[in-house]
Order: sequence, then structure tokens, then C-alpha cells
Amino acid sequence: MNVMLFGPELYYLGAALVFFFLTLKRKPEPKADYQIAMALGLGGLLVTGLCLCQHGELFFKAYRVDLFSQIFKFALALGFFLVLTICHNLPQIAERDQAEFYLFLTTTTIGMMLLVSSVELLTIYVALELSSYSLYILVPLRRGDGIDVEAGIKYLLIGAVSSGVMLFGLSYLFGATGSTYLADILPKLPQLASSPIGLLGLLLALAGFFFKLSVFPFHFWAPDVYQGAANQVTTFIATASKAAAVALLLRLAILGAGYGYSFTKALVILSIISMTLGNLVAIIQRDFKRLLAYSSIAHAGYFLIGILTLKEAGYIAAIYYALAYLVMNFTVFMVINEVAKDGRDLKIQELAGLWRRSPLLSLSLIVGLFALAGVPPSIGFTGKLLLFTSAMSQGYFWLVLIGAVNGTISLYYYLRVIYCSYFTDDPNLGPITISTPIRFLNYALIAIVLGFGVFPDRIVELAKAAVKTVL
Amino acid sequence: MLVFNHLETYLYLALVLFAIGLYGVLARRSLIAILISVELILNAASINFMAFNRFLAPHPAVGQVITLFIMAVAAAEAAIALSIIVAVYRKLKSINIEHATELRG
Repeated sequence: MNVMLFGPELYYLGAALVFFFLTLKRKPEPKADYQIAMALGLGGLLVTGLCLCQHGELFFKAYRVDLFSQIFKFALALGFFLVLTICHNLPQIAERDQAEFYLFLTTTTIGMMLLVSSVELLTIYVALELSSYSLYILVPLRRGDGIDVEAGIKYLLIGAVSSGVMLFGLSYLFGATGSTYLADILPKLPQLASSPIGLLGLLLALAGFFFKLSVFPFHFWAPDVYQGAANQVTTFIATASKAAAVALLLRLAILGAGYGYSFTKALVILSIISMTLGNLVAIIQRDFKRLLAYSSIAHAGYFLIGILTLKEAGYIAAIYYALAYLVMNFTVFMVINEVAKDGRDLKIQELAGLWRRSPLLSLSLIVGLFALAGVPPSIGFTGKLLLFTSAMSQGYFWLVLIGAVNGTISLYYYLRVIYCSYFTDDPNLGPITISTPIRFLNYALIAIVLGFGVFPDRIVELAKAAVKTVL
Repeated sequence: MLVFNHLETYLYLALVLFAIGLYGVLARRSLIAILISVELILNAASINFMAFNRFLAPHPAVGQVITLFIMAVAAAEAAIALSIIVAVYRKLKSINIEHATELRG
């Protein structure tokens, strides 16, 4: 076995082992732990980057390493590293728990990396549960007055139900085709088009990923978990975990190609409900993280637009948008984390006078929010353009129309946040000091959001090459 | 007994278990009862896998292996869920889901 094929996973497994030994120390040393974590995160980014062009199959073909999986692994490593950069102070996590926080963050990253390479039903299930269970533990790790455990138990129960439903669906897929390999299931499903068992199994099987992506019937956890978890954990859930879910949905949804209209119709309905519900409920939110939770439900609907086309263009758009969403959502969460230095839940009013308190952060906020809303020339605009054109060319006119209307609605509540930070002021709120590394992080994020929005060709080319390995 | 030698018997059994589990999740208010209902859903899936394995699958071991994995993963899930339920009880002095309503909006 070529070690490079399994390089990123092995590296993060080693990192998890390091963090495990750090948890055993009698006296917690948060500063030293943080430096080790940063070094390991940066190393992970390098290793994943080096393994970007590997391709092959491992473990009796249950595990497939191709450009598609490696791009998402790189995105996950990037998300992991970015989340670490805003962990320089962890006021919400008790000092003796901080090493465990890094440990579970690493194991959930491993789980997602395994997930994006899995092409066999049991492997998918186990990898999904590895990533989910680590997050279930991370959410109630916040020290607080009960909202943390409440968010944790809600997250766990909804997650457990959705993975149970997924497993039930997988059992039907297995029964209908007699195989657990996606490559064997794919050619057999169209023969079953007359009986509903394959379609039912597939739709139920997607439930586990709808939960991760917070698509409509499994979205209830998102607002509570976003608000109740520590800001850093919320950032990870909102960025890296979405990218992993999109990757697996792309791999699984292609199974539905043989069912044609009846399969895509179900996805169209879910997409429309997610977009509309997320955007409408977001309008009345006062807590910034809750607002972003509803915005993530709406974005789950946009992702589905690209997935349900089941064509190359839609898949490219979905990959591009998943990568873009990771960066732009992180930009906004980074601002939250810097403004709420003591780790409290940020109300939108507390952003008042941000242009005076920290001009750089307010610029990042405006860039991040405009990207989420899809205002040119950001990556969010390019991503939405690719998604909508791909759906339009497949004839989903009404879906695109509803998506565009939703984009306009979403602009309203994003602008409300920007209005609050630019046109209101509160003299009681003092200036915010940001450290030099965070300053450079701000510059880099703004450059990426605007730069790849104007020149998306490189990413699109990469996504195109990746899609060829999946379709 | 003829009825035990049909695939359909087991599929209906699993479907009934699945429905009971889903109903329990939605209707019960105790966290422990909800957890038990989730286990019913997982067991329904296990029965399906075993039944398909027995009657249809070309390879006789696949379904059994999957069922073993489901058991192990469900045990890990129960451990995490119970530990969080203990934490909920310590903070809220109750394991009734209706008392966990701090988060709304």
C-alpha cells in the first residue's frame, strides 16, 4: 500500500494521538497546546496539499482516492486550520478541557476525510458516525448555564434519528441490489425503476447527509446548535462539515440518475422549502449566530440546486460553491469571534459602530456578508451564477426563479447586519484590538473572496477535473 | 412454520419496528425513552440487513458484518447520549425534553 494514498488520514490520526497525550497532562498548559495545535494544523495543510494528485483504491475498493476526494480533503484541512487560527483564546472552554477540544476537532476532521473518500455503504456509515460523534461531544463542551447541554442533546438526538433513517434506507439499497459498493449499485438501480424500493431506499439514505447539511426536514438542530455551541465549534460545523456533506451528497445523488424525474422532483421540493424557510425565518433573528444558522439552511437549498441537476455543470457549480461557502462563511464567523472576545453569543445590535471600533473587521464583515448574499464580484456571486445557469440549462426555470427571489430576500437581512455595523453607534462600546496574525488572516480572506470571485477559472478547472472522476 | 421462511415477514417486522421507533421519537418526552426509540430504528435496519442477507445476497457474510458494525456503533452512540443526558440532568434537574427550552427564536 502506498502511504501517500492514505497520507492525510494517517497524518491527522497521528495528530489526534498527540492531542490525546496532551489531554493526559496533569496541569493544563493552554498556550503550549495552542502552539502545538497550530503547528499540526499547518503541517496537515501541507500534507494534504502534497497528496492532492494521488489516485487509487484501498481496502478492497471500499475507499477511493481521486482528485474529487483530495480536493475536499484539502478543503477540510483548510477549514481545520482556519478554525485553529481563531482558537488563540478559548474563553468558553474550560482550561483543562482545551486539549480534548483539539482532540475531538481532529477526530471529526478524520471522520470527514474518510467520508469524502468512501464508496461503500458500511464505510460511509462508520465514517459519518465518527465525524458526527466527535461533534456531539464538542457542542456541550462549552461552559455555560445549561444552553450548551441543551444544544448538545438536541444535536445528538436529531443526528441519531437521521442516521437511523439513513441506515434503514441503506438496508433497502443493499436488499434491492445485493451489493454495498456504490459502483455495483449504480448500474443495477435503473432495472428496479418499476418498484419503489430503490428510490425509497435512496431518499432515506440521503437523510443522514441532509442532517449534516441542515436541509429541510432535518434542519431543526441548526439554530439551537449554532447558538448553544462555543463560537469556534459553531465555526467548524458551519464550514468544514458542510463541505464534507456536499461531497457525499454528490457521490450518492448520482445513484438517482436512473430514476429521472421522480427522484429530482423530491430534491426540488426539499430545495425550495429549505431556501424559503431559511431566508424567511432569518429575517426576524436578533442573535447573529442564529441568523447565520437560518442562512445555512437557505444555503443548503442552493447546494441542492447544483446536486439535483445530476449533470457535470451542476456538479462543478456545487463543488465551487461548497469551497466558496467554506471561505465566506468562515470570514463572517471570524468577525464574530473577534468582536465577541469573551465568547458570548453576539447580538446583532452589539455590532453597532464596528466601522469605528475596528475598520478592518467591518470590511471583512461586509465582504463576507455580501459574498453570502451573492453580490458581485465575490465568490458567492460566481458560485450562485454557476448554480443557477446549470439548473437553467436543465430546464428548471421555476426553481431558478424561486432561488433568485430568495437571494433578494436574503440580501435584506444581510444588509440589516451591515446597517447595524455602519450606521448605528453605541458610545459605550470601545475599540477592538486585533493581533497581527489575525490582521493578515483578514487580508488573506478578503483577497480570496474577491480574487477568486473575479478570476474563478482555476477553481472551476479543478472542479471540472474532479467531477470527471465521479460521474 | 412456513411464515418464517419468507423475506416479506422480516421486512414487515422491520417496517413496524421502524414506525414504532419514529413514533416514539416524536411522541415521547423523556430523553431516555427517545434514546430507546432511536435504538428501535437501528434494530429495524439491522433486521432488514439480516433478512436481505439470508434470502437475497450473493455473499452470505456481508449483512451479518454490517449488523455487527451497527451494534458496535450504536453502543458508542448510547454511551455518548447517556453521558450528555447525565450532564443535562445535572444542569436542568430533569430529563424531560420540554424543560430544555432555553434556546428559541
